[in-house]
Amino acid sequence: MPVTKVLTQGIGEVDMRGIDAYRQGGGYKQWERAVREMQPVDVLNLAEKSGLRGRGGAGFPTGRKWSFLPKDKHPRYLVCNCDEAEPGTFKDHMLLEETPHLVIEGMLIGAYAIASHHAFIYIRGEFRRGYEIFCAALEEAKRAGYVGKNIFGSGFDLELTVQRGAGAYICGEETALLNSLEGKRGEPRLKPPFPAVEGLYGMPTVVNNVETLAYLVPILERGAQWFAAVGIERSKGYKIVSVSGHVRNPGNYEIALGTTIRELIEIAGGLRPERKLMAVQPGGGSSACVFEEHLDWPYDYESLAKAGSMLGSGAMVVFDDTTDFVKAAYNLARFFAHESCGQCTPCREGGDWMARVLSRLVNYRGVPGDIQMLLRVSSGITGLNLCPLGDSIEPFLKSVMVRFPDQFESRILAPQAQPA
Amino acid sequence: MNEREKNFPALLERLTPECQRIIAQYEQGRSALLPIMHLFQEHEGYVSAEAMNAAAEMLSLTPAEVEATVSFYTLLYRRPVGKYMLQVCRGLACSINGAEDIMAYFRERLGIGHVQTTDDGVFSYEEVECLAACDRASCMQVNLDFVYSLTPHAIDEMLASIRSGTYSTPPMAQIEAPGRTWAISQESEIAGGKRSSGAVGVPQPNNAGGVGDRSGIIMLDHIINHDVEFFTKTSERAVVDSRAVVEVAQEEGSHARH
Repeated sequence: MPVTKVLTQGIGEVDMRGIDAYRQGGGYKQWERAVREMQPVDVLNLAEKSGLRGRGGAGFPTGRKWSFLPKDKHPRYLVCNCDEAEPGTFKDHMLLEETPHLVIEGMLIGAYAIASHHAFIYIRGEFRRGYEIFCAALEEAKRAGYVGKNIFGSGFDLELTVQRGAGAYICGEETALLNSLEGKRGEPRLKPPFPAVEGLYGMPTVVNNVETLAYLVPILERGAQWFAAVGIERSKGYKIVSVSGHVRNPGNYEIALGTTIRELIEIAGGLRPERKLMAVQPGGGSSACVFEEHLDWPYDYESLAKAGSMLGSGAMVVFDDTTDFVKAAYNLARFFAHESCGQCTPCREGGDWMARVLSRLVNYRGVPGDIQMLLRVSSGITGLNLCPLGDSIEPFLKSVMVRFPDQFESRILAPQAQPA
Repeated sequence: MNEREKNFPALLERLTPECQRIIAQYEQGRSALLPIMHLFQEHEGYVSAEAMNAAAEMLSLTPAEVEATVSFYTLLYRRPVGKYMLQVCRGLACSINGAEDIMAYFRERLGIGHVQTTDDGVFSYEEVECLAACDRASCMQVNLDFVYSLTPHAIDEMLASIRSGTYSTPPMAQIEAPGRTWAISQESEIAGGKRSSGAVGVPQPNNAGGVGDRSGIIMLDHIINHDVEFFTKTSERAVVDSRAVVEVAQEEGSHARH
């Protein structure tokens, strides 16, 4: 199956940052059509029928998420999550910088679908350049009358506010993001209540990923059927996959869900010459590895779950036989330990300890029992926290520990060699 | 009172209209805290105590609420930093594509380590988490501008052109000389295996995670198998621990003087 170009249409070929270039390709037509010809509920139904699922990580059906908003509670908010920081993911970064008007149009349509009059985008602090590009695009959209009061003379008002993060992975978790947007520490909230009921400022809120919202534009243009006709089972439509690691042409590739993992690797140029594939992490730093035997499996939500992993944010890191998996596991454990907000003890303490134990394994100073201990500690973290950050350490670690036990065991010192 | 402190009231007056414009964007003013802190950092090079107090006043928050929030975010610096903040990605995709060599090269060239600033106040260096540019590994940011596909040669050119004032990215504001560091480096403690993240105590039978438990095994064993015993003896532990903390501090103090 080849690469498809829906959201990525024109990226890398033409400059679509300006509003004129974007309009030339039909930009803002769907926004106009939504406001002039459709009721919010029509947009919601369209999203539901298309089978579109959240492209940020959890894969929750978008239309259903919107339908959870209580009918009589106002105001309500749409928040676009552009705090992309899952290790290996770089698609939202690209959309933000290359096609900011598509992101804006997607947000406007999403906000309209839930009858919100104030939408926010939370942009990762590191994306300063993307932030500037987006702000410039937003100014153009405001001047053109696509954002603001009485849009297209319909009486519909919609404000759009841009918020910059300040360096915290956890703010990609939706409730942490809302706290951060409220000017607080980015600590996740206890759920329930879910944001749909009590979100920003305690009001009903939908948090959607950049890519999810962007897909609303082509879905409106070409219809729910067009999107739902692609993919398999409950994984419909297209997805931008960020392929990196040991491939020759790393990059963002837009594919139909159900393309096989092998095809994806080939699309990204395949491995370097003379190299052997060892593992693939298919869904970001939080996902477990899949291996050679899974290469012909389709890349979609269900198949990856069946393979013991997940599609997550669609970040695929490929590892060849030069990889030190102990180092890789340490790298990710240290990442999660570093990014723990510190609210929940199992994640705060457990993550730190696992990083420490892995650090001594990396340095060939492991002690007997370390491997069992890592597994015991990780099982003591998983499922015991307010958010899934702490749970994210185990999948990669466990998958490579089971697959490459020699790499781990060879790092353990014999008892007599232990330092006093 | 240094120069920056003297000029602060004038800066505050100059930035107040912009702050008010930011605050007006939100249904609740507190949402303006991060943008306001970004704004002050742009002008002062870091988030000063005066800036935090000013934000507290504008948003009717306590200074403690402001500092608690600001300290959560790694891109808000609460101490002066170098004119050029070099943030090298240590994420997994970069790390399997040579980031370790790149980081070692930076450390050697700059003569400083993670979260440190050079004596001349020009460079601050930090190894940061995945920057979302894995297709162009190894990557980094210079004052938040991306630089991709790093090589030793490119690094040499970058450092030279920053030093000669010809680099494309402008320097950050710096109106106060930076110190050696601006943040606490958690990782160096972990990597050095020097102390647990929990308590600092002494070995067995009531001192898991202490200085005598460098591998952390006793601590973990206690948490997993003897949690009741472990948690009921915290008061005893506190006495022993406080003594050990003093000892470790003294040991580190003598270390730092070398």
